[in-house]
Amino acid sequence: MRAVWSVARAAVGRRRLQTFVLGVVVLVSTATVVVTLGLMAAVSGTFDKVYDAAHGAHVVAEFDGSTATAAQIAQTAHASGVESSVGPFPEAVLHGAAEKGGPFARSGIFTVVGRDRPDTAVDAMKVFSGRWATGPGEIVLDVPQGFGGARLIGNDVHVVEPGGVDLKVVGYASSVSQSADGWVTPAEAERMGADSTQMMYRFRDAGSDAALKADMAVVTAGLPSGSLTATSSYLGIRTRLAEGPNRYVPFLTGFGILGLIVSVLIVGNVVSGAVVAGYRHIGILKALGFTPDQVTAVYLVMVTLPAAIGCAIGAGVGSVVGTDLVQGAFWGVSGNYLVSGKATVPSWIFPVVLIGMPALVVVSALIPAVRARRLSAAVAISAGGVQQTGRGLAAQRRLGGSRLPRPVSLGLGWPFARPGRTALTLSTVVLGVTAATLAVGLAASVLAFSRAQSQQDRIQVTIAVDNPASPGHPPAPVHTDDQLFALLRALPGAAHVSAQASARTRMAGSTDTVRLGVETGDTAALHPDLVRGRWMNGPGEVVADSEFWHGHRLSLGRTIVLRDADGRQVRETVVGEQMDGWDLTSTDWDRFIGLNPTDRATTFSVGLAKGGDPRAYAAAARRVDPGLQPSVNTGVGSVEKTMISVVSTLTVLLVAVSGLGVFNAAVLSTRERRRDIGVLKSIGMTPRQVIAMVVAAMAALGAIGGLVGVPVGMLAHRIIIPITGHGTGHDLPASLLHVWNWPLLALLALSGAALAVLGAFLPSVRASRASAAQVLRTE
Amino acid sequence: MVRLTDVRKDFWDYAALDGVSLEIRAGESVAVMGPSGSGKSTLLNMVSGLDRSSAGSVVVGGEDLGALNEKGLALFRRRRIGMVFQFFNLLDDLPALDNVALAGQLAGLTARQSKQRAEELMEELRIADRRDVYPASLSGGERQRVAVARALMNRPALLLADEPTGALDSRSGEAVVELLTELNRLGQTLVLVTHDPRLAARCAYRVVEMADGRIACEHVTDRVTDRGVERAR
Repeated sequence: MRAVWSVARAAVGRRRLQTFVLGVVVLVSTATVVVTLGLMAAVSGTFDKVYDAAHGAHVVAEFDGSTATAAQIAQTAHASGVESSVGPFPEAVLHGAAEKGGPFARSGIFTVVGRDRPDTAVDAMKVFSGRWATGPGEIVLDVPQGFGGARLIGNDVHVVEPGGVDLKVVGYASSVSQSADGWVTPAEAERMGADSTQMMYRFRDAGSDAALKADMAVVTAGLPSGSLTATSSYLGIRTRLAEGPNRYVPFLTGFGILGLIVSVLIVGNVVSGAVVAGYRHIGILKALGFTPDQVTAVYLVMVTLPAAIGCAIGAGVGSVVGTDLVQGAFWGVSGNYLVSGKATVPSWIFPVVLIGMPALVVVSALIPAVRARRLSAAVAISAGGVQQTGRGLAAQRRLGGSRLPRPVSLGLGWPFARPGRTALTLSTVVLGVTAATLAVGLAASVLAFSRAQSQQDRIQVTIAVDNPASPGHPPAPVHTDDQLFALLRALPGAAHVSAQASARTRMAGSTDTVRLGVETGDTAALHPDLVRGRWMNGPGEVVADSEFWHGHRLSLGRTIVLRDADGRQVRETVVGEQMDGWDLTSTDWDRFIGLNPTDRATTFSVGLAKGGDPRAYAAAARRVDPGLQPSVNTGVGSVEKTMISVVSTLTVLLVAVSGLGVFNAAVLSTRERRRDIGVLKSIGMTPRQVIAMVVAAMAALGAIGGLVGVPVGMLAHRIIIPITGHGTGHDLPASLLHVWNWPLLALLALSGAALAVLGAFLPSVRASRASAAQVLRTE
Repeated sequence: MVRLTDVRKDFWDYAALDGVSLEIRAGESVAVMGPSGSGKSTLLNMVSGLDRSSAGSVVVGGEDLGALNEKGLALFRRRRIGMVFQFFNLLDDLPALDNVALAGQLAGLTARQSKQRAEELMEELRIADRRDVYPASLSGGERQRVAVARALMNRPALLLADEPTGALDSRSGEAVVELLTELNRLGQTLVLVTHDPRLAARCAYRVVEMADGRIACEHVTDRVTDRGVERAR
C-alpha cells in the first residue's frame, strides 16, 4: 500500500494543474449540492420541527355555536384518530375594528377567541411581550414572534370596534397554528357575543389533505349537520411557507444536476487522460511488479485526494452560503417568523456529500482505472503517442484536402483521434452552454415576472402614504384621499392615478383571515396582467391571486361570500386570476374601506403619459404633501435581485468549470501531441499557427456544443419555470416562457465556441512556446 | 552558408556547447561526430534555429538567428532548413504523401501544388508507390525516405540530418546514406550528426569531432562511396 501511496502522490504532483481543476470542479459541485439539499430540507424540515415543538394544530375548526353545544363539540376530542385537542373556545368576530396606538395599525375583521391560558396541549402559544389576558376589557394580540417585541411594551394600545368594544392590549403572543387575531378571557368572548366555537386537533394521520379530511369526517360524525362552519389546516401554512425556498429549489436543483454531470465528465476526462498519457508509466509499474489491483488503486487514489479536499472545502462553502440563503429564502413569506433564525443546512447533509461526492468521483474514475488495470505491460511500454482509429485517419485525410489553412485543418482532425475524450469534452461544453442558456432564460423570466408583478409598464411611480395612527412615524398626510387624488392627477406628466388600501376579511367556509386589497381610481388602466379572466368592471366582482385561487379551488364565475367592513355578508363573483397580489382584490372601496372612516389609502400608483419623467414626478409628488413617500418603480424587487445574483453566480461557476473542462482536454491533447507539435515546428510552423491549430481543435467542439446546448438549455428553462411557479403558488402567464429572440439565441450558440477558445487558449500558447528541440530530444 | 562564432549553450549547471566556432560553405558535406553528450545534437539545434544559443552568434544563409523572434525562426526553418531525424518524426495520422506535402502547405503552397511537388520527390526517392500508406505501415527505410522527402520539400539551402541511420537496419541505412550522398553530389549542403565513423566517411568531406561541448578536432577527408573514393573538394 505504501508503494501505491507514493506512486499516487507522485502522480498528483506531476499533474498539479489537472489536480487543481479536479479539486475546483468537485468543490463547486459539492457547494451547489449542499445549498440545494439545504433549501429542499428547509422547505419542510424546519417547519415540521418548529410546528411539532409548539404542538401546532393540524386542523383549526370553527363550529356554529347555535347548531352544536359546547358539550357536543368537547366530545369530538375523543373521536378515533385524534391524538390531542384543545377547546372548545368561544369565538367572536369584530367587524370594522382597528388597532389604535399600535405600530401595526391593523383594521377590519378581528377573530377573537376566548382562551384562559396560552400554554395548551395543542397550539402552545408563547407570550413574548406583556402578559396573557386575565380580566375583562383585556386582549392579547397575535404578532409575529420577534417582531420588535421590545418596542411593543409600554404603549397604550387598544382594539376598538366603532360603537362597541374597546379592549386594552396587554400582551402580544404568537400562535403557530395562526388560530386567531386576538385572545381574551372566555367570559369576555361570551360578553362580546361569541357565536362560534373553536376546536384545535392534532391527528395521528395528518400527512395529507385527504387524511385530514377523513379525520375531520370522523370528528364531525356525531355532530348535527352543518355545525362545522370552517376549517384551516397546517398544510396550508406549510405550503405558504415553502414558497420562499421554492423560488430557489427548482433552478438550484437544475444547476446542481448540471454541476454533478460536469464533475463526472471532467473526472472521467482527467483520469482517462492520465491513463492514456501514462501508458508507458503503467507498463513500467507492472514491469516493476505492481499488481492490477495496485495499478487501479494508484489511479483511484490520484483522483480521490483532490476530490476529498475539494469536497471538504465545498461542504464548508455550501454550509455558509446555504445557511445564508436558507434563512433569506423565507423573506417576505407569510408565516416566516415560524422558521426565522431556525432554518439552517441540516447536519445530515454533510456526511451524505462528504461520502457521496468522493464516491461519485471514484465511480467516474473507475472505467479508465480498470482500463489501466487490464493493459498488458508489454503493450503499455511500447505504446507511443496518439493511436489513431480508422475513422480518425479518414477524417484527417479529408480535412487535408480542404481549402482550410493547414494548421486549422490539422486541428480540426484532432477530435477524431480520441472519440471518447471528444465526447466528454463536447458534453462539458454542451452543459456549459446549457447552464448559460438556462441562466439567461431564468434571468429574463424573473425580470419579466418582476415587471409584471410591479406593473412597471403601466405604473412608473408608487407613492406610499404614512399610517396616521402609527406613533414615531413621519407626519401623516395633511390632505384627504380625495384631495391627494386631485393633487397627484394635476402634477405634470400624470396620466392615470389609482389608490390602494387593504382590509382583513373572512370568507365563508374558512377560518383563515383573507387579505383583501381594495383599489379605486384609474384601476382599469393600471391593473396587472391577468393569468386568466378579466379585470373587475365594478362592485360585486373580485380578482384572486394564484395562491388563493388554488388554495380555495376557485374558478371563473364562482360566487364567494365575504364579510364587508360592517360584518355583513356580501356575495362576490370571481372574474379573474392574477399572478401575485392580495388574496383577493376588489374595487368596491365604499364597501370594504369607506365604511370605516379611519381607514384610508395606503399607496397611490401613478402611470405617466408617454415621455413623462418618473424622477421629476416623484420629486414633485414629495412636495405635494409631507406624508407622501414617492418612489420610482424600478421593476426589480430584492427577491428577484437575489435570484438573479444566485443564478449568475452559479452560471459563472458552471461556465468556468466547463471552461476548465475544455482547458483540461486541451492540456491533455497538447501533451499527447507534443512530439507532433515539435515536428511541425521543426518544419516551420509558427507559434501563431500552433495556437490556431490547438484552438481550432477545441473551437470545433465548442461550436457543436453551442448548437446542442442552446436547445437543451431552452428545454430546461421550459421545465424549471413552471415548476418554480407551481412551487411558489403562482400561475405564470405564457409570456414568462417566451423570453427568447434570435439574436440572443445566436449569441448563446456562439458562446460554446467562445468558451472553447477561452479554455484552449492558454494550453495552445504554452504549446506554441514549448521548445521543439527539447521535445524532439526527449521523445 | 553557416557561421558559428564562439557559441555557448548552457543547460542549468552545465554547458552543452562551450565556445564553438565553425564555418560551413555552400555545397559542403560535413559530419559532426562525438560520443553521447558531446553536444553534437545541440549544435544541430543551434544551426536549425530549434534552440537559441546562450552566447555567441549563429548566422545561417546570411541571417543572424539570434536576432530573429520565434516567428522569424519558424519562417527561417520553413524556407532554408530541411531536417531528418533519427526516429523519423513523421505525423502518424497523415499518410506518407500528406506528411511530405505538409511542409509545402505551411510554406504557402496550395494543397494541389504541394502534393504535386511531394509526388515528384517521392518519385525521385523511389517511394511513390507508398504515397497513401500511413507511417505505422512503412518500413524504417521507407519512413526515413519520406522524412528526407519532407525535408527537401521547400528546396532548403541546408539539409540537417541527426543520426539518420541510427534507427535503421544496415540495408535501409545503406540506402539512406546513398540518398544523402547523392543529394550532396547534386549541390545540397549537408550537415550530418553521427557517432558512426563509417557513415561519416561515406557521406562527408569534412569531419568535425566534438567532446564536452567543444570542437576537439576537425579534418578534411575523402569520401568512400559505392562509386569509389571521391576526393575532398
